[in-house]
Amino acid sequence: MAIIEHEPNEVLELDSGDPTTPDRGIGVFLRPTDETGWRSWLFTVDHKKIGIMYGCVAMFWFFVAGVEALLVRIQLWGPDSSVLTASEYNQLFTMHGTTMVFLVVMPLAAAFANYIVPLQIGARDVAFPRMNALALWIFIFGGIFLNLSWFTGGAAECGWFCYAPNSGLAYSPGTGVDYYAFGLQILGVASLIGSANIIVTILNMRAPGMELRHMPIFTWMILVVQFLLLFSLPVITVALILLTLDRSFGANFFNVDQGADPLLWQHLFWIFGHPEVYILILPSFGIVSETLPVFSRKPLFGYTFVVFSGIGIGFMGWGVWAHHMFASGLGPVSVAAFSATTMFIAVPTGVKILNWIATMWGGNIRFELPMMFSISLVSMFTIGGLSGVMHAVAASDTQQTDSYFIVAHFHYVLFGGALMGLFAGMYYWWPKIFGHHLNKRLGKIHFWLVLIGFNAAFGPMHILGLQGQARRQYRYPEEANFDLWNKVSTIGAFVILIAMLVFAYNILKSAKQYRNGEIPQAGADPWDGRTLEWSIPSPTPAHNFDYTPVVTQLDDFWHKKYATNEHGKLVKIADGNDIAQKGDQTPHLPSPSFWPIVMATGFPIAALGVIYNLALSAVGLLIIVGSLYGWALEPATDPNSGHGHDDHPDDAPSDGGDDASASQDEATEGASVV
Amino acid sequence: MRASSAQRSPMRRVLRPAGLAVAVGLLTTGCTEGGVFDTLNPKGENARIIDDLTNFIGIAAVVVGIVITVLVTYVVIRYRTTDETYDALPEQVHGHTVAELTWTIVPAIGLIVVTVLSLPAIFELDSQDKDDITVLVEGQQWWWQFSYDLDNDGEYEIVTSGDIVFPAGQQVNLQITSNDVIHSFWVPELNGKKDAVPGLHTPLKLHADEPGVFWGQCAEFCGLSHAEMRLRAVALDDTDWERWVSEQTTAGVIPDGQDVAVQRGYEAFGQFCSSCHVVDGVYDSAYENEPPLLSGIAPNLTHLMGRTSFAGGIFELYNDDGTVNEADLLAWVRDAPGRKALAPDNQQGMTSFAEQLSNEQLSDIVAYLSTLGEAPILP
Repeated sequence: MAIIEHEPNEVLELDSGDPTTPDRGIGVFLRPTDETGWRSWLFTVDHKKIGIMYGCVAMFWFFVAGVEALLVRIQLWGPDSSVLTASEYNQLFTMHGTTMVFLVVMPLAAAFANYIVPLQIGARDVAFPRMNALALWIFIFGGIFLNLSWFTGGAAECGWFCYAPNSGLAYSPGTGVDYYAFGLQILGVASLIGSANIIVTILNMRAPGMELRHMPIFTWMILVVQFLLLFSLPVITVALILLTLDRSFGANFFNVDQGADPLLWQHLFWIFGHPEVYILILPSFGIVSETLPVFSRKPLFGYTFVVFSGIGIGFMGWGVWAHHMFASGLGPVSVAAFSATTMFIAVPTGVKILNWIATMWGGNIRFELPMMFSISLVSMFTIGGLSGVMHAVAASDTQQTDSYFIVAHFHYVLFGGALMGLFAGMYYWWPKIFGHHLNKRLGKIHFWLVLIGFNAAFGPMHILGLQGQARRQYRYPEEANFDLWNKVSTIGAFVILIAMLVFAYNILKSAKQYRNGEIPQAGADPWDGRTLEWSIPSPTPAHNFDYTPVVTQLDDFWHKKYATNEHGKLVKIADGNDIAQKGDQTPHLPSPSFWPIVMATGFPIAALGVIYNLALSAVGLLIIVGSLYGWALEPATDPNSGHGHDDHPDDAPSDGGDDASASQDEATEGASVV
Repeated sequence: MRASSAQRSPMRRVLRPAGLAVAVGLLTTGCTEGGVFDTLNPKGENARIIDDLTNFIGIAAVVVGIVITVLVTYVVIRYRTTDETYDALPEQVHGHTVAELTWTIVPAIGLIVVTVLSLPAIFELDSQDKDDITVLVEGQQWWWQFSYDLDNDGEYEIVTSGDIVFPAGQQVNLQITSNDVIHSFWVPELNGKKDAVPGLHTPLKLHADEPGVFWGQCAEFCGLSHAEMRLRAVALDDTDWERWVSEQTTAGVIPDGQDVAVQRGYEAFGQFCSSCHVVDGVYDSAYENEPPLLSGIAPNLTHLMGRTSFAGGIFELYNDDGTVNEADLLAWVRDAPGRKALAPDNQQGMTSFAEQLSNEQLSDIVAYLSTLGEAPILP
């Protein structure tokens, strides 16, 4: 990235807006052209619309998983409760966990990764826009598929880690586990496609001058997460294939009678499952690493340390999986080894927390909503992290594993950590995405209710765990003395419900007020931001950037607003809203496509076939293969489709910025027909 | 976007420390009112090793947590913006290598200390002395079976379920396994949990300082009735232990026919129950044919009345006044799936006899069951 002479205000040179007539190759292989209405969403390849759809669908599943959790909490209100049957309860906690992990937190992170990462690196879209749409639709159909099991004889009753041999046909004869296995398999395909796409985007499509050491910290954390996905998902894929072979084709991978070792499943699951924990939390670490500096008006303290601790977590996350199995009978040497590795993964995590505090230290802290959620992440995640260190003491963990202490721990990590960070991200980027702020008063009510409800719901679980309440038990005896804290916890869960209703109301009300012109359109740079997404109008124009920004340092946009004067004092030299791009160009953009959504339908159909009738699988596979042809033969609508394919502006000898920006645009469009 | 005065209301300053105080308060009070599964109430050597570690790491975690929380609270209050300073630029500190190395290295050293201090317990808890009594613990959907090898000859002299009886004051070796799915054996007051994995024998030790009854439960999700798979660990003094062993090693006797109801119950048991349940010396043939239970065998009932509970430890066998809990026993024999989540259609658990057996037959069977073994020996 040696090209830095580019003038910031120079307009991208493009043969933009030329009317073109696409070759009408084969009749059906046309591209959709709608720019508004529902079709524009179904067939879009725009990373922003895809990001928004990830977010909306994830929030829907958040609601579903929340209802599941509330039913569980109602059941646990008192001893020997009989609101739910054992089977109903088992289905609910299984689907609550599976839904929250795979259909809420992961896609919410994917929503931000899709929407924000291209903006932060100054790109016009992701590297492979149609693959991006494909990943979205596979995810959507995978989520629907997983939840179909509610209506086909009952969802899986095995917990989200679905241990063998309980998951085998002998002990789980219904189709629930099949839906679980294929649901996760389909969602895994979506995540793999997405991860490859985002890795290529981040590594190849950064604005000229944005070296890795200049890259925004959120983009960094997303990059680490995509590598974790890329390497961990194949492991769960293998495990799920073995499970399916056992259940549908009579194999014996987990059949103890035939000499199988059921711990094989646990190893495979947790080799995926532990990196998965970091897949869930690192995006939120990235978000607060953006918001804490912005709302403290200070740069991130120790950017390099934070980046490397993120990478360190990514690597070390592969060496700790067996701490989920301290009670499994691994033998003392293995337990001791994994106990030690687990201790040390606390080091990079602790580094992050202290760097965040140091970022705020000496700052000028504005209590805007994103900041409030970010600060609560720092506090709440710390609690979850510390109980994690307690679990690293393996002997002590044998009293805590599979008890409510663990449930408290991972909710402090995943709710107090991941979800708090994602809420911070929503309030932070809402004006960029939708063009207006969310109501601050309602937002504050939301914040305080979440914080109080969260601590009331999950704080008591620490006590319940120490009192010996085992998780996944649909009732408990009176003698156990669990009812007081279970009641507090249930009340807390309902406080969270109220908080989320306030949030939903805020979204609807703010949107309505914005439509009616009662609240103003947000400026390009409402928070005095540091990264490139704030250098373009709000909401983001369809083409993102009028011209490719050129970056010379970390927080480049902020340094365009502030500089040291002749007395060596830092002063504001420009307002972000004034120097932002105008968003008035109309460059050519990747065309929408029918094929991602069509191809995605093939996956659940093929999976249903394995459960019910293999002929249906053939239909599903035909759809997938046929769509590949449609995909490949789709006509390009690019007016410049004949121009040379130089996707490597940094390799090319170049004497100016034009070349770089044109190449980058070309990379975007070239990819769309690959 | 200007900060309003409401943002700097005392609310925030008060709530955060208050929340912390409440959390600490909850933890301390929570520690004092545990029930039968309390992990912080060790009653034996093994549990005490764990408890000492938990206290050590728990206090360390709470201290670090308080430090961080106080620090965060201080920072957000001390450096909050005001109307006057809203646009002010603080000093732009990008980092401090020495500080960062410090807070990388110091926690790492702390964790090394914790690791070194905590690892020996893993090996200590895992070691078993071969001379101690060995009990084979088998998890089944959804009850526990305990087989005793008292003389270390590889043969099991006693087979029981529900209550694991052992001598107080000495270590007892457990070999834990499963006949179906993975379970986890957990008596919180005596030791941590250990999974029962089919095909593996995982070691665990039981030790109780004093005679007593300690509750246990299955701690790994094992299917439908995971919540209703409990047990009692009964520690006896040496005299009681000897007495219990001698009682348990006597075979059952065929009723002499004096009590008509018992006699009829004995016959009905043979017809309806003995294909799954063994009564040593009376109905031994239960497992000669392929048992109709996928998850293994049904409990051995030879000394049923010597136990405190039945049906996976969820019903008391005796009322508070010491009489047999015939109501629950009858209801159980009549319609087990109506009393506990079972799936007899998938051969998981006892089937319902509500259709097959008349009320008279049911009470006859209960009458017969009441003759199986002596009353429990309790500390």
